[in-house]
Amino acid sequence: MKKEKVLSFIYDTLYFVASMAILILLWALISNVTKNEIPGPKPTYTVFKELMQEPFYDYGPNDKGIGNQLMSSLYRVFIGFGAGSLIAIPLGLLMGSSKLMMRLLNPIVQILRPVSPLAWFPLGLLAFHAAEGATIFIIIITSLWPTLINTAFGVSSIPQDHKNVGTAFGFSAWKYLTKILIPFSLPHIITGLRLSIGIAWMVIVAGEMLSGGVGIGFFVWDSWNGLSLEKILVAIIIIGLVGVILDKMFNALQNAFAWDK
Amino acid sequence: MMQELETIENTKPLTAVTPETAIAIKNVSVSFKTKKGVFNALNDISLDIKRGEIVTLIGHSGCGKSTLMNTVSGMVAPTSGTVTANDKIVKGPGPDRGIVFQNYSLLPWLSVFQNIYQAVDSVMKDKTATEKREIVNKNLDMVNLMSHKNKLPGQLSGGMKQRVAIARAFAISPSILLLDEPFGALDALTKSDMQIELLKLWNLANRDKTIVMVTHDVEEAIFLSDRVVVMNNGPAATIKKIVDVNLPRPRNKKDISHDPEYIKIHDELLTLLFHKFSIDD
Repeated sequence: MKKEKVLSFIYDTLYFVASMAILILLWALISNVTKNEIPGPKPTYTVFKELMQEPFYDYGPNDKGIGNQLMSSLYRVFIGFGAGSLIAIPLGLLMGSSKLMMRLLNPIVQILRPVSPLAWFPLGLLAFHAAEGATIFIIIITSLWPTLINTAFGVSSIPQDHKNVGTAFGFSAWKYLTKILIPFSLPHIITGLRLSIGIAWMVIVAGEMLSGGVGIGFFVWDSWNGLSLEKILVAIIIIGLVGVILDKMFNALQNAFAWDK
Repeated sequence: MMQELETIENTKPLTAVTPETAIAIKNVSVSFKTKKGVFNALNDISLDIKRGEIVTLIGHSGCGKSTLMNTVSGMVAPTSGTVTANDKIVKGPGPDRGIVFQNYSLLPWLSVFQNIYQAVDSVMKDKTATEKREIVNKNLDMVNLMSHKNKLPGQLSGGMKQRVAIARAFAISPSILLLDEPFGALDALTKSDMQIELLKLWNLANRDKTIVMVTHDVEEAIFLSDRVVVMNNGPAATIKKIVDVNLPRPRNKKDISHDPEYIKIHDELLTLLFHKFSIDD
């Protein structure tokens, strides 16, 4: 059993390394074809090392290290995602447990869900009179939908068998909520949160490009203005890696709360 | 294992059965609204069940036997007529009636102990946590699941899950037990063990608990029951016949099948359930 685990870990690692090799090879190829207009892996790595030497330097509002940029983006993402979830989960519980609410609110969800974060930005500016507020606002309003929909779906799909237990043994509303409804819906809610954090992380880059200030999105825009394509590529890699880490975190959470394993 | 359980059954004295009525079903009809219109499941059924009696409801699938039992549990409200349990008209589920569902209906995220504890906690509000835990442990012990109390239902076999469900129903100490095809999903050997176990529990409770059980297993019905209620095929099902089982208790699973009375009842039930014995080929 343990030997199999070690073996599968070795295989996973090998496949990962191979996959990265393909990516770097493709990248080098494209860089070659464009005659180094798009920087290759090597010059990008040099810039990456430079940036990593002092990631948290702070030379005033428009010149901060990449670590600072990343931290302020993560901070916004968690504020926006947290606030979005605080709206989405109770609303989802409500929609899932009441057919009336589902039918009443679902059309609103369906219409607002596909709206691009960029379209929301001016409304955010209007409401908060500041770019910071607007950025967090667009994260809230674009990342809450998967959590809302998954929560509502989870609650509405509680099997009759489980509900019968509550009825037959006279569970109070509180006991029903804490021993049946929430435990059953939790895996669905976490799946929703996992999708939501992915969206939030995607939206932050766009938001910060519009808002300016500090953040990984702003860093990309700023590097473009400074014509440092290497920096942009470094940022893209970091954005991707952080996205994977966030996803893995929620994946671990999903496994921790899965009761049907 | 079987021998041992039968001995336990032998040692328990039979208490005097008071002929009081535990359940009175009076002119009960049940109809459901479906997309295709109104479906009449039960039509004008009357049945009295005495305290301490074991009654099985038998019939083909979809004949409404579960629906009839659910009018007693309170999970289904009769469209007309009344059901009285323990001298009170049934208006919904209550702690005086313990239910064992067909598919165990354990909550998969709660341990065996917690599954029972939550039911006890919900029903016995005036007891302390220690008392409630003792009740759970006592009932787990009765079904020999003490060593599995911290497992999740997903880690148990079908027979063990059903024992948890039975322990849960017993734990709230109801005077009436309602079992909806409780052993239907079990293999033949486990099923026999469970039937004996059920009788053992009934004996431990001084044969004072009234048991109503839905089944489609003729042998099971005879082995367990005092009376077998044979239902007509639905829609608008009625009681076809009530067959008395006058076999002395304790009953021995192995010997009983040679008893002439058993064979007579067995034949009668088969005739009632299947009009034609021959298969046209």
